[in-house]
Amino acid sequence: MMSVRSFPKRMIVPSLLLAALIIIPFVAPLITAEDPVKIAVRYRLAAPDLAHWLGRDEFGRDRLARVLYGGQVSLTVAFAATTIACIIGTFFGLIGAYFRGPSEFVTSRLSDIVLCFPPILLALLVVTLFGPGAGTLVAVLSVLYFPTFARITFSEALRVTSLDFVEASRALGTPSHRIVLGTILPNIAGPLSVQYSLTAAAAITIESGLSFLGLGVVPPAPSWGQMIRGARQFMNQDPLGIMIPCAALVLTIYAINFFCDRLRDTLDPKGASSSSMDEVSKPLALADAPAIRDPNVVAVISNLRLETARFGTPAAVVEDVSLTLRANQCTALVGESGSGKSLSSLALMGLLPGAIRQASGTLQLRRKSGEVVDLGFLDARTLEDIRGNDIAMIFQEPMTSLNPIHKISDQMIEAILAHRPMSKADARAHAIQLLKRVGMNDAEQRIDSYPDQMSGGMRQRVMIGMALTCEPRLLIADEPTTALDVTIQAEIIELLQSLRQDQGSGLSLLFISHNLGVVADIADRVAVMYSGQIVEEGPADQILRDPHHPYTRALIESMPSSHEELHSTGGDRLPAISGTPPLPSARPSGCTFRDRCPIALPACAEIRPALYPSADGERAVRCLRAPEAPAGLMNHQTEAA
Amino acid sequence: MTAAPLLDVRNLKKSYSIGRSGLFSKRSLKVLHDVSFSVAPGEVLGLVGESGSGKSTIGRAILRLIDSQSDVMRFDGQDLNTISPVRMRSLRKEMQIIFQDPYASLDPRKTIRAVLSEALDAHDLHKGAARQPRLIELIKLVGLDPSFLDRRPHEFSGGQRQRIGIARALAVEPSFIVCDEAVSALDVSIQAQVLNLLADLRAKTGVSLLFISHDLSVVRYISNRVMVLYLGRVMEVGPADKVHFSPKHPYTAALVSAEPSLRRESRRIRLTGDIPSPLALPSGCIFRSRCPYAQPACAETVPPLQTVGDQHQSACLRTDIL
Repeated sequence: MMSVRSFPKRMIVPSLLLAALIIIPFVAPLITAEDPVKIAVRYRLAAPDLAHWLGRDEFGRDRLARVLYGGQVSLTVAFAATTIACIIGTFFGLIGAYFRGPSEFVTSRLSDIVLCFPPILLALLVVTLFGPGAGTLVAVLSVLYFPTFARITFSEALRVTSLDFVEASRALGTPSHRIVLGTILPNIAGPLSVQYSLTAAAAITIESGLSFLGLGVVPPAPSWGQMIRGARQFMNQDPLGIMIPCAALVLTIYAINFFCDRLRDTLDPKGASSSSMDEVSKPLALADAPAIRDPNVVAVISNLRLETARFGTPAAVVEDVSLTLRANQCTALVGESGSGKSLSSLALMGLLPGAIRQASGTLQLRRKSGEVVDLGFLDARTLEDIRGNDIAMIFQEPMTSLNPIHKISDQMIEAILAHRPMSKADARAHAIQLLKRVGMNDAEQRIDSYPDQMSGGMRQRVMIGMALTCEPRLLIADEPTTALDVTIQAEIIELLQSLRQDQGSGLSLLFISHNLGVVADIADRVAVMYSGQIVEEGPADQILRDPHHPYTRALIESMPSSHEELHSTGGDRLPAISGTPPLPSARPSGCTFRDRCPIALPACAEIRPALYPSADGERAVRCLRAPEAPAGLMNHQTEAA
Repeated sequence: MTAAPLLDVRNLKKSYSIGRSGLFSKRSLKVLHDVSFSVAPGEVLGLVGESGSGKSTIGRAILRLIDSQSDVMRFDGQDLNTISPVRMRSLRKEMQIIFQDPYASLDPRKTIRAVLSEALDAHDLHKGAARQPRLIELIKLVGLDPSFLDRRPHEFSGGQRQRIGIARALAVEPSFIVCDEAVSALDVSIQAQVLNLLADLRAKTGVSLLFISHDLSVVRYISNRVMVLYLGRVMEVGPADKVHFSPKHPYTAALVSAEPSLRRESRRIRLTGDIPSPLALPSGCIFRSRCPYAQPACAETVPPLQTVGDQHQSACLRTDIL
């Protein structure tokens, strides 16, 4: 989003160029003292000299003066027409979109009627009827261009009107005109200004065209089209005469288009980073990966550190994360937004966004063949082969991962054929079998429906079915039930549970969620993340029943479902954690949770706690005050301080 | 209810027309079927239901942000069905809304000062020199720093934006606020802060809330009474703890049992099948197609809301089972 206060750098050059081209014609008297209409036949087609830099035209008039004054006329006509078209079009568009009903009808039909006419023919007709002249030109061009503005305004305003903040303004009782002008209009100004520049460029061309045909500006008044018309007859004797107005036209239109392009990029919030969006960071190749001996271990993340790759000094978004994922086990990664739980799982898929860089750590995976691979040493093709074959992923909103214009059957068959060569009929049979496995009744019929004909729960089942295509060993589920209703959520959890048990080779499930209740239902092990670090890790029942880290404790305590005896109307308060999680670039020294922690001590600001394992090695916690922390650590530091 | 209700709604209906089935007959999609309820001054009425239950539609219908039909819709003694647009605009001072999405509900181009001022300007409140102290008072009320006033929404976190949305609703000192999934998009730790804030405000200002949410535990904690909706019909209504801990309707029981919890052992009541399409609702009780206790009689008549306890009503024929 462009901030109003800082003028973006990339706009400086096009803005200066455009401003110069617009201003120069209007300061013509300062540049030349010549009169653009004063005829001096004696000097017709005279070559350039010191007094007349661009020479003289077929009537001996000064060309510099004509091109400058002609620019005045051309630009005035173009911008006056565009401005009128913009105001009328925006007015109709806004009224149509905000009030809907009859005004919408008027707006769209009026635009349709005008758009039915070929623009040049309409212009010719009007000019022939009303006679040529600058005034007629402005009128014709305004009529020609207002429908484009009306349409753009209408569709953009419709989008903005459905947003909550417009609804909020209505609920506040703000009068309609203030909502339309004060809230909707500023929010559609971006696309409108781009359209304005484009239209102005087009209007200059049409103005020149009509003047060239003798239907525009009336001679002897100068205009660029007029100049081309006049110079055309002497093209062979004096090519300069036709090149000057053409150069002026080209330069102006180029400046406007250049300005437009940059303006569109600047106003588009995705424009600035679009080049990096599709990019994927490569996993890091480090030689010091620990050897995996336990055949039950499916994947190991060790000492993973992820940093932002851009914007000045790199900040760690994920720090010192180690996880071991075992077959037939569900590990839940729990945390609030921005805790780094999704990034950690994307790293394991080799799908980190380009803006994030792996700074250290290793990612290892046991393939179905039993071979252990280090993702950092694999080429892009092997990584692609691993995704889908060995690891699969399901997301929060299945609708965004399914293509709405293709049938479920086509999408599933395509996914199957991508990994396993077989006939189309076999692939279809396999797809139906997968759908049955994820609990879809009448899979034979429903496979031929489109995604939007299914409920959210059914779509999520389809996604899970597709993820199981190649019997992966590791399934990563990123908030798979967050968008679903509770009754459906419970069914999906049950499905994931049963899949884990009946997959022969033993499926390992990495379940990412912010909902501790869901985690309690499904997970064997839990890793709680806060501010990029794992702060507590261990068996789910131990962690959730008896949390040792104050953050885990506070998270459980702040859930209303943990307090069935409390009631707000009785004056009870929920034990909430004060403050908000720190940004990656502004984490406190020592323990990252200390400034929100109810039991923090001065020592917590000095020591960055490690993940201290418990005596039996089952669980670990990153807190100096936890029972697992080494005994001497606290006293020693407090004394030192 | 002893005191005169602040809001009284009888037989609220809403339908959308969706294309044509025949040449002349328009098909219509009914999303609300005769919903009746009232909210007393200072009361929090919770509205729960799954997606498609019509809970958000009710909130918007009361605020007259969408058209609807009802036999009675009275707010603070005024008939909202016959009120003139001008009167309605000034009545908006009394009824406000807090939205779910803290990102979509603030205009990205306005400073917080402009957002809050819009509310005050709409009703000519705190003009001139009185404006600045009022803005500072509001921003402090929701626990934010006055220096935030001249910043734009993108500089804030989701929780802070939600507080700004609450401040906007409170600016005009309403007596009634619709909270439409107001804490659903927030992280757990922030959600508790905002719930505490809403509870404090209710205690301090006596504002009534219509608290719409799909999260039963949140609704139980914040509400005096809870109304359970399924496909636009009221299934059960009653005191919050009663509805939550001893539900009388099989649907409520299934909802509560499906909710993931750290404390209770999972003993989920299984529902069969999908939520029916609103275009092809079952006859009689609309829940019967998924109800584990359905009997042939359930297909015959639409069960009326029957009193099953103190202020507690349930729309189920099988009063024998729960």
